[in-house]
Amino acid sequence: MTAEFLPTGIAAAAVPPGGLVVADVRGTKVAIANVGGTYYAFDDTCTHQQCSLADGDLAETTVTCMCHGAEFDVRTGEVLAPPAPSPVRVYRVRVEAGALQIEIG
Amino acid sequence: MKTHVIVGASLAGATAAITLREEGAGAITMIGGEPEPPYERPPLSKAYLRGEVTFDSALVRPSAFYAEHDIKTMLGVRAARIDTAERFVELEDRRRVPYDTLLIATGGRNRRLSIPGADLSGIYGLRTVRDADRIREAIVAGRRAVVVGMGFIGSEVTASLRAKGLEVTAIDPGKTPLFRVFGQEVGRSFADLHRAHGVHTLFEDAVAAFEGDGHVACVVTRGGLRLECDFVVAGVGIEPAVDIADGSGIGLDNGVVVDEFLETTINGVFAAGDVANHYHPLFRRHIRLEHWQNAVRQGAAAARSMLGQRTAYEEIPWFWSDQYETNVQYVGFHTTWDELVVRGRLDSGSYLACYVKDGRIDAAVALNRGRDIRRIIPLIRSRAIVDIARLTDEHVDLRSLEAGNHRAAITQEGS
Repeated sequence: MTAEFLPTGIAAAAVPPGGLVVADVRGTKVAIANVGGTYYAFDDTCTHQQCSLADGDLAETTVTCMCHGAEFDVRTGEVLAPPAPSPVRVYRVRVEAGALQIEIG
Repeated sequence: MKTHVIVGASLAGATAAITLREEGAGAITMIGGEPEPPYERPPLSKAYLRGEVTFDSALVRPSAFYAEHDIKTMLGVRAARIDTAERFVELEDRRRVPYDTLLIATGGRNRRLSIPGADLSGIYGLRTVRDADRIREAIVAGRRAVVVGMGFIGSEVTASLRAKGLEVTAIDPGKTPLFRVFGQEVGRSFADLHRAHGVHTLFEDAVAAFEGDGHVACVVTRGGLRLECDFVVAGVGIEPAVDIADGSGIGLDNGVVVDEFLETTINGVFAAGDVANHYHPLFRRHIRLEHWQNAVRQGAAAARSMLGQRTAYEEIPWFWSDQYETNVQYVGFHTTWDELVVRGRLDSGSYLACYVKDGRIDAAVALNRGRDIRRIIPLIRSRAIVDIARLTDEHVDLRSLEAGNHRAAITQEGS
């Protein structure tokens, strides 16, 4: 299956800078973060205990899971602090007619 | 080239070894009494106990990691003593391991109940993966278990046993679970949580004896109750594992005493994790903690101290516990308090309860409110006088409280 941009059903304006939302895109829960006007998308499910990362806190490019404090870089999905054992997947984001779309393959 | 030796292939010990390697240290040797490579213990009372995850998922690093990164491991062998004058660790088999710097990360060992019948089979403690495996073998839906001690281990084991369909009676001398740490008001919410999940709770009572023919069959309480059971799990706390330091000259008091840099009273010897009684600059007292974050962060900090990068360790203590579907988090440090300030309701299953003393938040515990816990940390760290009306107002973003306090402090100084 080739990658394609899919609608998230979320308006870009609904995610203010520093904000986090979760979108369900074809059954995949994807978190979208707004870092100073740039949007980043990544798997919403923490790789530690499956908590929602969109329920966590965003500080610059770091998202902190609210359950057990794991930290990820929203740009790369890389683990910045344990207990998460592995990175989260990241997705490309674009704004199309004021709405957020992410690329899922 | 300097030789760094770590006694204790624990989370603290492994984190120290990994940090030493990352920081370009010379020779690194890690000695561990357990045969397994270093692993994390939190899953042992939860997902691992319930058989939901493999042991490999609990490893700090894959077992091949240490050799690949030139970290020598000596596992399944106990260190017996330390000679701080000649700078070597002597193993049980009399082998000697010389060091330039040494880290003690030996953790703790379970307290044992010294009451009649305590040596019957079917009475389990929980510290190691082997302990967890023994309990797993006893877990069969419909069996009756008695959990002795409703601290964190007892509470989590109770939740796991209920999830596996066992009948559980939980007994603790306190008025509630976690009574000693959290007090009665917060403790009651935990009692309610367990009862809502079908646990028979028995507080302000204690075990007087175990009875059975070889295998435990009945728990007799001081209050005179007789609890028929198939097995018992005792979670009655740990003692810091300090025997390696006996006679070494290293200062001991509720564990291995270390300064803010995690160095013991002997130059070049450090301690981290459950065994370390650390001088915390923020709380201005020694604190010994038995939690995951403390092991990880102190392990890393001790490694840096071993390399001469002396930075005081002043992390705010933090831990979590998962019981049933409830996420519990605690941050800060408190022993006594003037006022318990609650954001939300204690009977709602979602609250932040702050332990306030002299107008400052020393610590907070939250049920299903991880975000509030994260946001309260700067307030605890600032040691600012807290605005209680705003703290309890759910419409106020906790992040705004710290800034508000700074303004208040400046105004006061200016007036």
